Amino acid sequence: MNCTECQENISSYLDGELDEIGSANMRTHLSVCAGCAKLCEDFSVILESCRDTVPSEIIPPNSQALWCRINNLIESEIKPEVVEEPKKSLLSRGWNLTFSQAGAAVLAVAMISSLLTVVGIRNYFEPSGEDFTSRSRASQTTFEKLLSKIGLTDTPQQAREKRIKEQQAAIDYWNKRVQQRRGQWDAKIRDAFDRNLNLIDESVSEYTIILQENPDDDLTGEMLDTVLNDKMDLLREFSDL
Amino acid sequence: MARVLKNRFHCFAGKTTILLLLSVVFFFAPLEASAQRRFSKTYPATRNVRLTLTNRSGTVTVEGWNRPEVQVQAYMETPAAAVNPQVVDGTIFINMVKDNYGRGDIGSVNFTIRVPFDAAVDIETKVGNLNVSSVRGSLVRAKISSDGDITLTNISAPMVSAENGIGNIFFDGDIQSGGIYRFTSMSGDINLRVPFNSSFKLVATAPSTRRINLGSFSGGNMRFIGDGRRVTGQVGDGSSYLTVTNQRGSIAFIRR
Repeated sequence: MNCTECQENISSYLDGELDEIGSANMRTHLSVCAGCAKLCEDFSVILESCRDTVPSEIIPPNSQALWCRINNLIESEIKPEVVEEPKKSLLSRGWNLTFSQAGAAVLAVAMISSLLTVVGIRNYFEPSGEDFTSRSRASQTTFEKLLSKIGLTDTPQQAREKRIKEQQAAIDYWNKRVQQRRGQWDAKIRDAFDRNLNLIDESVSEYTIILQENPDDDLTGEMLDTVLNDKMDLLREFSDL
Repeated sequence: MARVLKNRFHCFAGKTTILLLLSVVFFFAPLEASAQRRFSKTYPATRNVRLTLTNRSGTVTVEGWNRPEVQVQAYMETPAAAVNPQVVDGTIFINMVKDNYGRGDIGSVNFTIRVPFDAAVDIETKVGNLNVSSVRGSLVRAKISSDGDITLTNISAPMVSAENGIGNIFFDGDIQSGGIYRFTSMSGDINLRVPFNSSFKLVATAPSTRRINLGSFSGGNMRFIGDGRRVTGQVGDGSSYLTVTNQRGSIAFIRR
């Protein structure tokens, strides 16, 4: 047995894990090699001291914290060195905002969502004549004027034109239905229908002229909306005869 | 002598002609009468029964009476329309448009319907007059799509609506607290006869004629706007809503 083989087997020899032949070879080498004998003696002392020591003395008082500290230390040593970058703008700084900046951002988000809600609700519900069609610039609130200016809602004129277009589309639809049916009506029904339709058309023309001269005339706007609805109703009600 | 005889002959000939004409009239008159068909049926009515009638052409008269039944009488001109009333969940439905769909040339149908006083009445027609009297139910609605007069008398209902094209509207009844009353016409006169102690919020609009006569109800609480085209205001504590619109006619209030 040479020294290398002996040093590899010292631990097993001291633990009594070697067989008889191995143990005998070890003893022979240790008796002739002072270096290996000294190493074996050191190992033996360490083992003895370990066997004698109480486990509580080995475990530190707060092993968890100790391991954390060790872990942090290791990680800090492993992390590559961060290169300092030049100063960034507000947006590129991510979420590192000051209190006032965060407050302003929250306020802006609240305002935008409120505006979107208002616009959404207005678009969702069918506009009543009083709210849109018949209203003029004069009767708009400051808030509504602001919304109109930034293009979030229609101006009263735009709303009225939009509404009239919708009504006209419905009138065209029902008128087609009426034209298909009116050949079967008797003279009395036909005369009554024509008379009423002409009267409504006269009113539509009058109100349209008034509105061209005075677009801010709320009452005329409302009346125009009413007679267009009347026309729609008349056509619809006669379309099933 | 010859002249006298000639005159007598002419007189005789004239009388004969008149007699002949009269006989022709009387000969054809029963034919005209027999051309009208009649429908009559009585239905037991539950409390707060509702009548829903859609007519095509003709006069509809609805009267309240003190019996728990609904009597429907219809007089049909030739070519006679089909009448097929339905009773569903205490409501009597008569729909002359649906029952005669696809039939172009049918005669007018004149209805006389008697309902319990507490009945709700919802009637409409394309052409013709509508009359409702002595009804105190939850609703009185009368609508004429084109020509015809609406006459509502002795009405006491929390919801009243009358709407026509060309024709007059006359209302004589109570304005109940919390009620909604709406009268709309394209052309014609709207006359409203209501008790002096009525209380309502009013919006009356006559954009073309500007003829709005408030009668006894004119006063400090009324305001003319839009160059006199509209009157808004309150009478009493304003506990009900009264909206009157007449596009090309007048509006008048009469104290009862």
